[in-house]
Amino acid sequence: MSKELKMLAPEGFREKLSRRAFLQGGTAVAGFALIAAACGGSDAAPESASDSSAPTGDTAGLASGDWSRVINQSSGTLAMYTWGDYNDPELVGALAGSTLNVTMKVDYYGSNEDLITKLAASAGSSGFDIVVPTGPYIPQMIEKGLIQKFDKTLLPNMSNVDPNYLAQDWDPTNDYSVCKNWGTTGYFYDTTKISKELTTWQDFIDTCMGEASGNCSVIDAAPNYCGMWFWANKINWNTETAADLDACEKFLVEEFAQHIKAFDSYPSTKLAEGAYSIAMAWNGDARQSYVRIEEAGGNPDDWKWVLGSPNTELWMDNYCIAAGAPNAEAAHAWINWDLIPEISIRDLSYHGYHTGMKNMSQLISEVAPDLVKGDMIFFGDEQVATMQTQVITPALDRLVDILNKSKAKAGG
Amino acid sequence: MTFSVASVLRRRWRGPKYLLAIPAIIWYLVFFAAPIAFIVLYSFGTKDSSRLVPVDLGSLSTKSYSAVFDETFFKTFRATLRISVLATFLCVVIGLPVAYFAAFKVAEKWKAIILAAVVVPSFTSFLIRTVAWRIPLAPNGTFSKWLVDMGWIADNGIQILETPMAVQIAIVYNYLGFMILPLFVALDRIDVRMREASKDLGAGRIATFFGVTLPLAGPGIVAGVLLTFIPMCGDYVTATVLGGAKGNMIGAMIASQFSGAQNWPLGSAMAILMIAAVLLALVVGAVVTLLVPRLFALASPLVQHVRRAIYERSIKRKQIVKQEMRTKIEVLPKLLLAWTVLVLVFLFIPISLVVLHSFNYGGSFTIWSGRASTKWWGELFNGGVVYAMLIRFAVVIIIGVIFARITKRRENFSKKVSSLTMPAAFVIAIVLNGLMTEWYRTIFDFVGIGDSIRNSFIAAFGATVIAVFIGGMSGVALARRPGGWTKFFMATVFLILVTPEIMDAIALATWFPRIKAIPVIGSIFANGWGPFNGGINKLWVGQSLYASAVVTLIVRARLSGLDESLEEAAADLGAPPARAFRQITLPLIASAMVAGALLSFALCLDNAVISTLISEAGSTTFPVALLGATRSTIKPFWGVGAVLLFVVTLSALWFLAVVLRRGGDSASKIAATFTGS
Repeated sequence: MSKELKMLAPEGFREKLSRRAFLQGGTAVAGFALIAAACGGSDAAPESASDSSAPTGDTAGLASGDWSRVINQSSGTLAMYTWGDYNDPELVGALAGSTLNVTMKVDYYGSNEDLITKLAASAGSSGFDIVVPTGPYIPQMIEKGLIQKFDKTLLPNMSNVDPNYLAQDWDPTNDYSVCKNWGTTGYFYDTTKISKELTTWQDFIDTCMGEASGNCSVIDAAPNYCGMWFWANKINWNTETAADLDACEKFLVEEFAQHIKAFDSYPSTKLAEGAYSIAMAWNGDARQSYVRIEEAGGNPDDWKWVLGSPNTELWMDNYCIAAGAPNAEAAHAWINWDLIPEISIRDLSYHGYHTGMKNMSQLISEVAPDLVKGDMIFFGDEQVATMQTQVITPALDRLVDILNKSKAKAGG
Repeated sequence: MTFSVASVLRRRWRGPKYLLAIPAIIWYLVFFAAPIAFIVLYSFGTKDSSRLVPVDLGSLSTKSYSAVFDETFFKTFRATLRISVLATFLCVVIGLPVAYFAAFKVAEKWKAIILAAVVVPSFTSFLIRTVAWRIPLAPNGTFSKWLVDMGWIADNGIQILETPMAVQIAIVYNYLGFMILPLFVALDRIDVRMREASKDLGAGRIATFFGVTLPLAGPGIVAGVLLTFIPMCGDYVTATVLGGAKGNMIGAMIASQFSGAQNWPLGSAMAILMIAAVLLALVVGAVVTLLVPRLFALASPLVQHVRRAIYERSIKRKQIVKQEMRTKIEVLPKLLLAWTVLVLVFLFIPISLVVLHSFNYGGSFTIWSGRASTKWWGELFNGGVVYAMLIRFAVVIIIGVIFARITKRRENFSKKVSSLTMPAAFVIAIVLNGLMTEWYRTIFDFVGIGDSIRNSFIAAFGATVIAVFIGGMSGVALARRPGGWTKFFMATVFLILVTPEIMDAIALATWFPRIKAIPVIGSIFANGWGPFNGGINKLWVGQSLYASAVVTLIVRARLSGLDESLEEAAADLGAPPARAFRQITLPLIASAMVAGALLSFALCLDNAVISTLISEAGSTTFPVALLGATRSTIKPFWGVGAVLLFVVTLSALWFLAVVLRRGGDSASKIAATFTGS
């Protein structure tokens, strides 16, 4: 089995996705009656207004159902500023060239603060077309004039997005943003080195301070790092209560920080190198770790993924267009293209995050029935009920400060 | 008391003495002094993340400074200083025997080879070399597993990554070359007769080394310490890539205040205190280097007394120990040779790993999949096209070699022609291949890396042009028109050289948004001009600062060695200053300019710290993109890109060596040119 894990793309082994996994988002599931078929597209939705040109690539086939598949040709170069390893390299490479006629340039950042600093430093002239901020950060970006309004006539494929993932608090009319994908936070540990069965954030904290002291990594973003303590102690993650924040600071800086080996937002490669025995990670990155561990000659079955509990986060990253984007037209074309179901699923198979397409279960069974580790991408209703979304409050400065001090404290 | 009419005329023509340095003065005022002044200002402000520039200057306070002195942050300061001081010390200890061996114990030809071997690794991408240390140090890596199998270490493998130890190793490695080179230059300049005289006067090996060689090598040690200690203090890359939480250094912490934490006042205060700490350390270092020879001098009568006693005794027993003496003499060079070889192996480990791992079959650069494959190279090279290119290359070079052989035998060809044959053949081969294939163009279409390599070249080239222009002019002005301004200017140049890069980086990153409203200059950086976008313009500015200071020193050193009589003669013969400059001064400093240019080019091509903080879309350079890639998984094609850049940098160095050797310089002189002395 471990051999087949080599590819996360559909050629891999057939992961039995539980029915529960498909229920996420409240979308109606037509069941599994529809057999994944290579020619699924031929009898699909002839009356839909979709563009007739099929997306290229080696996707298994076209999904049946009422989908919009408009592709707008564009030209020139398109600069995207995004998170690490966040799109299938083929899509941003050769396929964007051959399908959209644009050349992509992709740069990476590690936190929303990095992104905002970069855009603010050159307000309106950063040269980026597409940026991918996390939802709660969008209002301040609009306020500071860092992102511009969509021309929705250029984004007809927005109709493919599940309404559950549209009209979020931060942008109720989706004038500025559309869901790219969403995910959550948990941790990943080596069962050969950690004997105890871990299930909660408290377990994570205890293990980091005990068995895995000096051998654990945490995400290098203030809300996640501090969130771990709030979740473990069943305190609202978005608390502004001074006493809670003080207690959080006291514990994380004074007691916890000294046990940390690294502040690492993307631990997958280093896990494979053997650097950590337990690591806090976003679900998609943890899923990619299996490939890396396998490649390094390790046994992926030794590693266990745990979704944080009793509570954890739910974040959603969104496509936005930067203010003063040099090639806004191409930016629209790209976003619209990535909202085509087959393209979206292809991206999903690579990065391992739910892309928010409607009828996701049906889509997966038709387009990517071979998807591996689906349980790290799709979550059941009861799991989603434990996830909290971040709200930007004045307390965020305090959280950043706690992370900052913890980093200094962790130093040798 | 006879003033020639011409000299009076000449004086009138001259204008202010600092005329030639004016471009540099303006440049440093606008892009060095002013931005740093703002950092000083920010350090007294308070954080306000609701603003576009997240600093509230309404109420000034020294709060940020007291925060730095708080135990939490101050610890990182101490750790940084500890790592840097220890690393500098290790560089001296490791580098000195190598420099000594190269300077005194080998033939001229071997000097060049050893020096080249020391220099070559320093000109590979700094970042990829640092990343490459993850390969041998990985707990699950081949080396670690082997050590475990041999039973030499515990079952959990090498536990060095993400500790200060990893940073310490890599930092010594990264800066060792910059220590050996100036050490070699200083040792090589020592007159052999001094050492011989010392021995004739009865001093032994050790007394000669400590009494004569080391004091004479003093300036080289000082230069080496300056070249290594200062960049180490501001190092941001090594700690970020290898240090984890425990090996955190102040450079990384400052950078994070300006990105993630958005706490500019705290970051500014840290940066200012860091410069203060660096200057303080230098002062302490200077005092120590002044005191130590004094102490030696105080001790020397005693030493000499002991020496003489030993010497006299040894003469008495000469017959007996003769045999022993001979073997002793032969042991030292052998030890030095072994040490040099070890150091060179150490220098080449990461580079060999970079090359090896660019052939990795797997999807991650640092993790060897157990299988070799050319697939990552295949993304860049189309097999058939490349073979055809290599064949064309070989043919042209072979013709060149044959031509050089023939011309060497014939007397009627000047030596210049034959020595220029090889570079010419090289150029012809490149041009020919460029005309016959589209490869040079298509290489830049390689997503992610192609762009970044192209941007690296554009940025480094532009910055070099600026550096040579303003650095060359001010170098001439310093050497030929000294005056009251010289002190201020040299102080500025010195400040630019000792300011850790991270300081320039944050100063410029916060400066550009501030000047974007200024009509012409602002719009150049906001919108760019011609084919160059704003980001490239910013990189030119950022990278040119250090490079121009280096060029200034090199040109000044070259010119102050030559007296001004030639220029004066030209003026006396009626040449206007511009013409005298073009026809006399420029040819004199040409080789210094070439050396400065190539050194700047190599430095700029590798620049990671400034570039990361100020680059934007469409101006991402190779180190910046690679640093971005370290956030997720580094694909093996970064190794391919690094090897390519390495080959290009090497060609540039080779050209320089050829150009300089044409001027009759020896390996030692070439090395001296590189270090700017």
